[in-house]
Amino acid sequence: MLVMKNINKIFQTADIQTHALRDFNLTVNEGDFISVTGPSGSGKTTFLNIAGLLETFTDGEFTLDGKDVGSLNDNGRSKMRNEKIGFVFQSFNLIPDLNLFDNVDVPLRYRGFNAKERKARIEANLERVGLSSRMKHLPSQLSGGQQQRVAIARALATDPRFLLADEPTGNLDSEMAQGVMSLLEEINKQGTTIIMVTHDAELAQRASRTIQVKDGRVSELEIVSKQAIA
Amino acid sequence: MFNYYIKIAWISILRHWGLSLLMVCAIGLGIGATMTTITVNYLMSANPIPHKSEQLYYVQLDSWDVNDPFDEGQNPPDQMTYTDSTNLMKAKKAFRQNVQAQAFAVIEPSDPDILPLIVDGRANSTDFFAMFDVPFIYGGAWSASADENKEQVVVLNKETNDKLFGGENSVGQSIKIDGNMFSIVGVIDHWQPKPRFYDITTGAFNESEDIFVPFSLIAEEKIGRSGNTNCWKPSGDGFQAFLNSECIWTQFWVELKTPQEKQSYMTFLNAYVEEQKQYGRFERPLDNRLNTVTEWLEVQEVVADDAKMMLAMALMFLIVCLLNTVGLLLAKFLGKAPEIGLRQALGASKSTLFYQYMIESACIGLAGGLLGLFLAYLGLQGIEALYGEYMQGLATLDLNMMVLAVTLSLLATLIAGIYPTWRACKVQPAHQLKCQ
Amino acid sequence: MLETGLIFRALMRNKIGALLIALQIALTLAIMVNAIFMIQDRNQQMSRASGLDEANTFYLTNTIFGDNYNKQVNLQTDLHAIRNTPGIVDAIQINAIPLSGGGWSMSLQHEPGDDKDTIGSALYMVDEHGINSLGVELIAGQNFTAQDIQWRESGSTKWPPKTIITQAFAEQLYPDNWRSAIGKTFYISQTQPMQIIGVMKALQAPWNGWSGVERSMLVPFHMDSKNSRYFIRTEPGRRDEMMPIIEKLLAESNKERIIRRVSTVEETRQRSYQRHNATNKILMTVIITLTLITGFGIVGLAIFSINRRTKQIGTRRALGATQWQIMRYFMMENLLISTVGVVIGSIGAVALNYWLVKTFNLSPISVELVLFGVIALFVVGQLAVLYPARRAAMIPPATATRTI
Repeated sequence: MLVMKNINKIFQTADIQTHALRDFNLTVNEGDFISVTGPSGSGKTTFLNIAGLLETFTDGEFTLDGKDVGSLNDNGRSKMRNEKIGFVFQSFNLIPDLNLFDNVDVPLRYRGFNAKERKARIEANLERVGLSSRMKHLPSQLSGGQQQRVAIARALATDPRFLLADEPTGNLDSEMAQGVMSLLEEINKQGTTIIMVTHDAELAQRASRTIQVKDGRVSELEIVSKQAIA
Repeated sequence: MFNYYIKIAWISILRHWGLSLLMVCAIGLGIGATMTTITVNYLMSANPIPHKSEQLYYVQLDSWDVNDPFDEGQNPPDQMTYTDSTNLMKAKKAFRQNVQAQAFAVIEPSDPDILPLIVDGRANSTDFFAMFDVPFIYGGAWSASADENKEQVVVLNKETNDKLFGGENSVGQSIKIDGNMFSIVGVIDHWQPKPRFYDITTGAFNESEDIFVPFSLIAEEKIGRSGNTNCWKPSGDGFQAFLNSECIWTQFWVELKTPQEKQSYMTFLNAYVEEQKQYGRFERPLDNRLNTVTEWLEVQEVVADDAKMMLAMALMFLIVCLLNTVGLLLAKFLGKAPEIGLRQALGASKSTLFYQYMIESACIGLAGGLLGLFLAYLGLQGIEALYGEYMQGLATLDLNMMVLAVTLSLLATLIAGIYPTWRACKVQPAHQLKCQ
Repeated sequence: MLETGLIFRALMRNKIGALLIALQIALTLAIMVNAIFMIQDRNQQMSRASGLDEANTFYLTNTIFGDNYNKQVNLQTDLHAIRNTPGIVDAIQINAIPLSGGGWSMSLQHEPGDDKDTIGSALYMVDEHGINSLGVELIAGQNFTAQDIQWRESGSTKWPPKTIITQAFAEQLYPDNWRSAIGKTFYISQTQPMQIIGVMKALQAPWNGWSGVERSMLVPFHMDSKNSRYFIRTEPGRRDEMMPIIEKLLAESNKERIIRRVSTVEETRQRSYQRHNATNKILMTVIITLTLITGFGIVGLAIFSINRRTKQIGTRRALGATQWQIMRYFMMENLLISTVGVVIGSIGAVALNYWLVKTFNLSPISVELVLFGVIALFVVGQLAVLYPARRAAMIPPATATRTI
């Protein structure tokens, strides 16, 4: 369960105040696949950063799995990110100096698993995204779609309750995008809650729930299309 | 185009001013340290009389103890006995010859109210002045007959003449030296060879003497000798016994114009030693030497160990600074990968890029060189202050050294820049552009 | 959690950059260790006791130029006058000053003859006030008496039959038991016997660079010399006050001589070791600047590499790395590079030392010093990387979602 109540985020620079989120309210249930849309500058990324504990908020209430996030310090947030949240980024953010195996290993190291456990998890998750044969390759030797699959494997390696994806298909061509999307859907079916920011209306509609962010506020869309498909 | 590169380099240097400053400082420090020590070594090993250093020879004869050879047998004694030097003087087999020793004297001014003056002296033959190109202001060297007749004549240096006669022409006047009257025959101009090659045994960087008198006056006890005396055999009592002893305390120089003259002089020396062997002297195997000025300075290891060691240290220091620069340039140029990709996309060839980044390296090198020059100046001041008299006159930058400093710096930076530049030029434009 | 392997693999992707720092550290270590070693060596040389009461002694040169100067009588008059001046402990005529750079040495031998092994010693000509004036400590045997003192004509080669030597010299002559030196006879000038009547604790030779600097002997002579030195010891703390008094006393008592070069033994020590001191200061400067350059080089490269890896660091943070874990990454990275550096550097230090030993006759370096250098450079590396690593830790995790 992810619950945000009246979240406000104000960016303060020397003389400009930007109200990125205003009284933002959202509840995400276990097993949801939520897509977040909205024009650029609407606050999508700010929402995702706060939801993913990458950024703090100015005021409001935010509980994640019953834990009050507002009261956590930086270390606490790091720990929670590591344990409960997986990230998938638009530009993949793989570490170019490390091979696939080591890339997936990164969050497991922070978790402090032993070598055996790490190895098992890395192999299982690379297998899951269909790249177990290329473990020793460097990211630069892969296509964009493959890189994003590695990123997903990395996000899943810690068995997170939530997977946060920021325009996961933004840097991919449509064929690769379809592949990545199918992978996300499959993961969702296996029980991981997914929150995906996207500006692609078609992909957004494949989620079980779509919300739109506009001027820092949320407005739930009717899940019309999905029902129509159904 | 060159101006454009300079401009681009300037923008880049300013953009990463912290990094640029770090590089300039590193190179500056390296060049400063290196130049400081190179200068000291350069001046220590300078040829003090370049136009005739190959015609002046220091004569060594091995008259030492057969049971305990001089310098463990590696070199013959560094000075000569009175007996041998007077014999060689009398033989007059060289174009010019000079026997000399360090002396020490008190000059008593005629005015009893002026305190007596203690001076360093040199007792030498008249050829000394011509052989070593000593410049005269007034008068000249004494005559050869003055040497033979043990005349009480003296040549003053400028500084002593200034003190005693206010810089006036004093030739023909008399002064009282150690209780005897000497007549002045010449005054020399300021003359300070560095190193003081003509007498290394009493310090290669000591000052030249205040007064010069005929060597023959030492035997007359008209002038007191100083300097080093080295004996291996007890001599017997009295001054005459000392003069006849095997103690070495005189120095002998000859001027020989051609290799043939040198050859025949060596033959003469060998014949002389063979002859002396008949009197029971020279029990060691024949080992006579004729060293030119530069050879003699080298044999006597005039360049101090300290100076050599510092030079080695400074060179390693420079290498550290250069490694530093390579690393920083590498970081800087690789950080520019996107810009390089873009420039390539806009039509820059690898060679133009190479040129551009080498120019940027050169700019940093130039700045580092100038800073290094300034630091070397400070370093030399520091060395002079720390070492005092010993380094007087050895710690000055001449034009050669300044040019060397900047050249060295440019060269070093360009070498340091090659690898980073090469790496930068290897950037794949497509990759860079796609990723952004 | 140790991520050494990960860091190492990432480093291997950028070998040259890491190697450059490692090499810098290596050279710095090699130079630093040897420079410190040379400083220690010089400090040790400078700290050797001269044996003199350095704080309360001075000397001057008496240069005679007049024709009517009776050296023997005037010497007695001078010494008598100086010794009876209030504030003066004692005074002597002496031929040379310890550490001054100029003096007299003789070869001594156990057996008479011209083909025997000899050992060199510095020689000081003093009278029975020598021990007291110099302030040396007589640790065995006895001092000269007034009857022992002979008048030495200039150019004479005769030696008196008695001598007092230093303990270091006695140890060299009689390695089994230096105390046995008392009463023994050795030969000077190949054939002249000399009996050791006393041993003093220490008295250095005039030449500080000589390997036999601790070997010296006292010989009971007054000298007939146109240039002789008077060595004077004052009551504690009164040296500076007494110097002009004595100079004036002597200068006014006889006009046929010049009193000059009035200087303290402390000044002589300073002049004697001026080059040592200067070299030490330069070496110190080298060590400091070198360490600074290497340190700043590490800072510069680390900042740059962190700037390049901003996004990567943000991603790591997003994946759950704490600030401390990020800092630790860079400190660990530096530690790895430093380790390579100090390994190469230790070998380099020993090699450089080997070259110095061969070329400049230095002694070999100690393991402790190399270890000290290794630790010092590890500390420098960690300190240098601290600021960049903190900067890296401050990179916000949200950087990961930022598009360029």
